[in-house]
Amino acid sequence: MRKTALFAATMLMGSMLVAGCERVDQAMRGDTKVAETAYPERVYWGDTHLHTSNSVDAFGFGNRLDPEAALRFARGEEVASTTGTKAKLARPLDFLVIADHAEGLGATKALYEAPRLLITDPTMRRWYDMMHEGPEGSQRAMAEILDARGRNALPEAMLNQADAAKRTKSVWNDHIDTVERYNEPGKFTAFLGFEYTLMQGGNNLHRNVIFRDGPDRVKTVTPIDPTYKATPDEIWAYMEAYEKATGGKVLAIPHNSNLSNGLMFELTQPGGGPMTADYARRRARLEPVVEVTQIKGDSESHPFLSPNDEFSGYGTAGWELNNLIGNQPKVPGMYAGEYVREALKRGLLIEQRTGVNPYKFGMIGSTDSHTSLATADDNQFFGKHSGNEPKAERATQQQNLGTNRNRFGWQYLASGYAGVWAKANTRGAIFDALMRKEVYATTGPRMTVRVFGGWDFTAGDLTGDWVKAGYARGVPMGGELKAGGKGAPSFILSALKDPIGANLDRVQVVKGWIDRAGVAREKVFDVVWSDMDRRKPAGGKVPTVGDTVDVMKATYANSIGAPSLATVWRDPEFDPSVRAFYYVRVIEIPTPSWVAYDRLRFNLTLPPEIPLKQQERAYTSPIWYTPG
Amino acid sequence: MNLAQPGRQLLREPLVHFLIAGAAVFWLLSGRAPDLGERRIVVNEQVVSGLVQRWTDTFRRPPSQDEIDGLIRDYVQDQVYYREALSLGLDQEDEVVVRRMRRKMESLAVAEAESAEPGDAVLQAMIDKDPARYSDDARTSFDQIYLGADNPANRAAADAALTRLRKGEQVAGVAAPLPSHQDEASDEAIAGTYGDEFVLALRRTPPGQWAGPVASGLGLHLVRIAARTAPTKPSLDKVRQRVTNDWRAAAIARARDESYRRILEGYDVVIVRPK
Repeated sequence: MRKTALFAATMLMGSMLVAGCERVDQAMRGDTKVAETAYPERVYWGDTHLHTSNSVDAFGFGNRLDPEAALRFARGEEVASTTGTKAKLARPLDFLVIADHAEGLGATKALYEAPRLLITDPTMRRWYDMMHEGPEGSQRAMAEILDARGRNALPEAMLNQADAAKRTKSVWNDHIDTVERYNEPGKFTAFLGFEYTLMQGGNNLHRNVIFRDGPDRVKTVTPIDPTYKATPDEIWAYMEAYEKATGGKVLAIPHNSNLSNGLMFELTQPGGGPMTADYARRRARLEPVVEVTQIKGDSESHPFLSPNDEFSGYGTAGWELNNLIGNQPKVPGMYAGEYVREALKRGLLIEQRTGVNPYKFGMIGSTDSHTSLATADDNQFFGKHSGNEPKAERATQQQNLGTNRNRFGWQYLASGYAGVWAKANTRGAIFDALMRKEVYATTGPRMTVRVFGGWDFTAGDLTGDWVKAGYARGVPMGGELKAGGKGAPSFILSALKDPIGANLDRVQVVKGWIDRAGVAREKVFDVVWSDMDRRKPAGGKVPTVGDTVDVMKATYANSIGAPSLATVWRDPEFDPSVRAFYYVRVIEIPTPSWVAYDRLRFNLTLPPEIPLKQQERAYTSPIWYTPG
Repeated sequence: MNLAQPGRQLLREPLVHFLIAGAAVFWLLSGRAPDLGERRIVVNEQVVSGLVQRWTDTFRRPPSQDEIDGLIRDYVQDQVYYREALSLGLDQEDEVVVRRMRRKMESLAVAEAESAEPGDAVLQAMIDKDPARYSDDARTSFDQIYLGADNPANRAAADAALTRLRKGEQVAGVAAPLPSHQDEASDEAIAGTYGDEFVLALRRTPPGQWAGPVASGLGLHLVRIAARTAPTKPSLDKVRQRVTNDWRAAAIARARDESYRRILEGYDVVIVRPK
C-alpha cells in the first residue's frame, strides 16, 4: 500500500519538465559537420564520471546543482557551488559524461520535494525530515540511506520498480534535452550516459554506461537499475539489446575496482567455475576501458602485488581496508582482483587458457565528483560531494559514506581526467577512440603522452614528424603489436608536462607477461628521466628526482625535473614465445596535495600522518603482444 | 430502520462532512470571534476530486467511500492546524517551512524565464555585446621547433638555431609530442597544448619568417607563422544554441536576483552581530 507514496508528486513535476523541453528545436543545434583529421593530432580532456543533483546520493549529500550547471562548469563558465563558493575551471574540459546513478535517478530529490503527508513510511519520513534540516542533516540521512542500500534494507516504498521506472523516464528525458543543448560538435562534447551501480553486499562493481548516439536513439531506452545479482549480465544484455534495436553504440567503463573486495577482475567466472570464452569475449567487447584513478582512490597498483615498484600504492591509503560500504574488511588475497595491473596480467592468463582476454582494456581517469563540478586539480578541488566542498574540517573529518571505518577526508584524491587521442571533438570521434583504447589516465595534470609500438623504431625516428611514422609503422596506445616482427619490439615514448603544471620526473614502461612456466610476471623499467647524466641508476633504481615543495606555502618549483621526456625503448628481455603487455607510466616531480592548499587556505594544524605532497602521474592504455 | 438507511448515506455525503467539520471548527474556535474569511474551510468538489485523484495516482485504484471520508477528515484537520499554526506564528521558527517557502518563491520567480523563448533580436543583441565569446577562434597555421626548458643555455642555443634557420638550414629540436606544423589551429587548441601565454606570444610574432625564442608553458620554441585568420564573425544561426543557453541561464539568475531585490526593498534589515 505504501509503496508508491512519492510517486504522484514526482510525476507531476516530471511531466511539467518534459512538456517544457519538447520545444527544443532539433534544427537549433546546427548539424555542423566536423571534419576528422587523418590521425589523432590532439588529445582531448574530459571527465566520464560526473554526478549532479539527479544522483540519489549527490542530492542527499546536499548537491543542488543540476546537469545544466555541471555542463556550464565543464564548458568553462563560472557557477556558484552548492555551498555558495564561486567556481570556475582554470581550463575548460573538451568533453563531459554526466553519469548519474540510474538507481533511484532523481529519487532523493523526489523524496525531498514530495509533500510530507504522502510519505507514509516512517523511515522515509525521518530521512525526509533530516534532509530538510539542512546540509548536515541531509548528509546524515544520506549515510543512513547508503548503509541501508548496502545491507539490502531500504524501505519497500523506495524499491517499487514500476514507480522508479516512471520517475527515471521523466528525469532521463529531461536530462537528454539538457545534454543535447550543450553538445556542440567541434567545441564541446556532451555525452549521454548513466552509472549502473552494481553492488554485491557493499562490494563495488559499478559501471558507467556511455552512448555514442544522440536523443533519436537514446530516448528509446531508459537507464536500468541493477538488481542484487553479482554479475554484470543484465547491463550487458541491456547494451546489446540497445545496439541491436537502434543500430547505435554503447560502452561501459568499470570503476573503483579498489573497492570491490576482489570481485572486479576475477580469475574465474563470477560466481565460480572457470571463466568461459563467451564471458571473456562479451566483457572485452562491451568494456574496452576501465577508470583506473578517481577521487575514491587509485587502482593502478598495490605494494602487496608489486613489492618491487617503489611508485606503487599511489592513492590507496584508506581505500585498501574494506569495500565501498565498509561492511566487509579486505584481506590481501583480494587485492589481485582489485588492481588494474594485476587484471591485465590475469587477462593474459585467461587468454592463454580460453583464447580470449576479458581484461584487454585501456585506462582513463575521471572524477566521480558528486558536486556537479568536475575538478581534479589539487589547487582547485571541490571534493567528493557537497559535504566536503572547501572548508576547514574536510581533510580530517571521518567520511561516513555508508558507515566507512578508518576513512578520512584527506584520503580522497583530487583525481583524475581522461586524455583521449581522437580525430575530432565529437561524440563519434571520442567514443571511437575509447573503443580502440587510444586513451590514457591522469591523476589530474594534463600531460601529453604519446606511445607507439612497432618492430623497427630506432632512436633516429624521434625527429621530424615522428607521429606520422608512429602511425604508419606501429600501433598507438591501446593497440596490438602485429606478430611476426623481427627481434624485439621497440617503442616510441614521449611525454610533455602539463603546460601550466609541474615538470616530469620520469617515464616508465610497465611490462606484464606470462613466463614459460605459465606464471604471470611484471617489471617496471625506468626508460627516460630528467638529468640522466647526473641521476645514474644505483642498484637497478634511478635516484629520486628531489623535492621543491614548500608545504607551508603550498608551492613547488620547476627547477628540477624536465618539461619533456622522450626516447625509443627496446624491450631488453623480450621472449617472442610468450604473451605480454606494455603500458607507460609518467611520473611528475613532487607537488602539494589538495590538503596542503587547504592547510594554507584555512590555516590548519594537521596531524603528521597526513601527506601534504605527492607525485602525480599518467597511465597509458597498454600495447599487447601475442605470439603468432 | 427506514431512518437508518438514509442516515448512513447522509454520513457518506462529503457536503455533510464539510458541514460537520465546519461546525466542529466553529465550535473549536468558539472562544474567538469568527472571521469568515480565514475561519471558513470549504471542501468543495474541486478539493475532493483533487484528493481522490492524488490517492488514485498513488495507490493505482480509486479510494473507497470510507477512504474518501478519511481523506476529507485529514484535509480539514490539516487546514485547521495549518491556520492555527500560522496564527500562532509557528511557521516562523520552523526551518523546514522557511526553506520550503523560499524555494516556492524562487521557483515562482524563475518560472517565466524558464519557459520564455527569446526572439532573434534579443539573441543577436547578446552576440553584438560580446562577439568574441561567440566567434570562432582565431586560427593560426605555424611551424614550430621545440628547444626544451626555458633556461639560459637553451636561450643561447635558440639564438644560434634561429640564425641557421634564417639561412635556410635545418634545425632539429627536442623530441616531444608536438606537431612540427599545424594548420589552422584554434587559439583554444593551442592554449590547451602550450598554455595561454604562447597564444599571446604568437599574436605578437610577425608572420612569414622564423622567429623566437617564444616561451610557452613547456619551454622555448622557434616559430614561423604561415597564416593567421581573424576570428570569424559569429552568425546567429551557427551559435543559436549556445546563445540561447547563455540567455536562459542569465535570465533565470536575473529573475531570481531581481525578484529578491524587489521584495527586499520592502524590508528593513537590521543585523546585530554578537560582540
